[in-house]
Amino acid sequence: MTARDENGAAVAPGGATPYWPTPFAARIYASIGGLFVYVRAMAVFLVIWHLASLWIGNPILLPSPITAAEALVDLTRQGEVFSNVAASLTRLGTSFALAILLGVPLGFAMGLSRNVFVMVDPLIELLRPISGIAWIPLGMFILGVGEALPTAIMFYGAFFPIVINTVVGVRSVNPGLVQAARVLGVGRAHIVRHVIWPAALPNILVGARLGAGAGWMAMVAAELIGAPSGLGFAVEWYRELLMTPSVLAFVFLIGLLGYLFDRLLRWLQRVLTPWAQTQGGAL
Amino acid sequence: MNLALRLRPFVLPALLLVLWQLAAMQAAPADRMPVPADVIATGWTLIASGELPLALLQSLQRVMLGFATSAVLALVLGTAMAAYRPVGRNLDPIIESFRPIAPIALLPLAILWFGTGTPAAAFIVGYAAFFPMIVNTIHGVRSIDPGLIRAARTLGVGRLTILRTVVLPGALPNLFVGARLALGVAWTSIIAAELAVGAKAGGGASGGIGQMMFVFYAYSVDLSGIIVCMIGVGVVALLIDRGVRALEYWMIPWKR
Repeated sequence: MTARDENGAAVAPGGATPYWPTPFAARIYASIGGLFVYVRAMAVFLVIWHLASLWIGNPILLPSPITAAEALVDLTRQGEVFSNVAASLTRLGTSFALAILLGVPLGFAMGLSRNVFVMVDPLIELLRPISGIAWIPLGMFILGVGEALPTAIMFYGAFFPIVINTVVGVRSVNPGLVQAARVLGVGRAHIVRHVIWPAALPNILVGARLGAGAGWMAMVAAELIGAPSGLGFAVEWYRELLMTPSVLAFVFLIGLLGYLFDRLLRWLQRVLTPWAQTQGGAL
Repeated sequence: MNLALRLRPFVLPALLLVLWQLAAMQAAPADRMPVPADVIATGWTLIASGELPLALLQSLQRVMLGFATSAVLALVLGTAMAAYRPVGRNLDPIIESFRPIAPIALLPLAILWFGTGTPAAAFIVGYAAFFPMIVNTIHGVRSIDPGLIRAARTLGVGRLTILRTVVLPGALPNLFVGARLALGVAWTSIIAAELAVGAKAGGGASGGIGQMMFVFYAYSVDLSGIIVCMIGVGVVALLIDRGVRALEYWMIPWKR
């Protein structure tokens, strides 16, 4: 016997039946189950970590997760977490906004005009293989150790994925749609706004996510090497003081912020371009 | 096609060179700003003396060491996670929790654990390369048509043979995507690792291109040397990318 839904169509065995659990309830059960698996996996991991730290017995090399959590709480109470997180987030916001504001229009210009593309593309292909991190020493010369360096490095890291994916997005617009709009007498500005922009948006957002990931990594490196504040700086600072629990606390924060920023961009993808299927796989 | 149109690609790079030359001539001599000709001269001496190729090779060697280790680990773990649901379900939270941590952030820990030599750098590289590899391995193994595996099983093929003749070729395109991304990130992070090791441990003799850049930055204050290193970094990144693509083209004839 195959299960049937109310219209008599076959329902895959094991799939949600139409009456109960309702899709909403099923989603809640699935997320509770997922949460349970997550907590269990992390608990096993933390126990192994704790046992390893007992076995090594040197809190400078590997402190137990409990000490690391205590360090995180202490640092939060002293406000040191907030000042460093604020410094890093300000840089992240400034440089990411700049990369979007400059990269998206440039990508549009390159995607729409053959002339602009032929002129700008060689320069981009020339600079792109040189990673943002390789600019750090030269950047320290030109900009000095301070606020400007990590911001500039992150901007550089985020800029290329955004430009390239915008170009791809603009080019991937179905030419039939553009021609149809033109036949109906729609002006060029309107075509860009109402035909090309929505079609290119999914790719632009993919570029933004890739850029954010690459830029965040480059920025942490820049802070670690040449900045007087920020999460990367804090990690290195506490290593020099041999306060490994605090190092781990800041490493955790770097991961958490990177994760939250990615979630924010994923959420934007879902809200702004619900019709685009996000493909998994390639980072 | 007339000449002006054919010259378009060279306009902006040429403009950049001219601007650089003008800025260098404007700057005070104390700034030690090099003109393009200085960079070419420095590059020539560095290549002729073998310093630049040696440093690049040393870094590349570390990248390969870290990449090979984590690729093997990611292949085994990723295949297991994709093939057996309980393994995948339980390991996925741990992998997803570590993925957002920037590899460079672990450098201080790596220095504590492994010192400032090759093992610390290789650890960072391996960590950076692991995530693109495993994510794409899982994706590749999952994307194989289950009908093919069932067909093979029906015909009495053993598990290991299925792995070799069905799963591996099926996942290969994704494995190459993972390898290309992983090597890209690995090359970026080796430079960061060597730079930071140089910056924090003083001019220790750990070698590599990042170390070389740091020596130019901190000790000999040679801007043209730094720019030569940056160009070297870019060329190697390009060669790695093209190399993996060529290998992919050669090994996956059915995707051409």
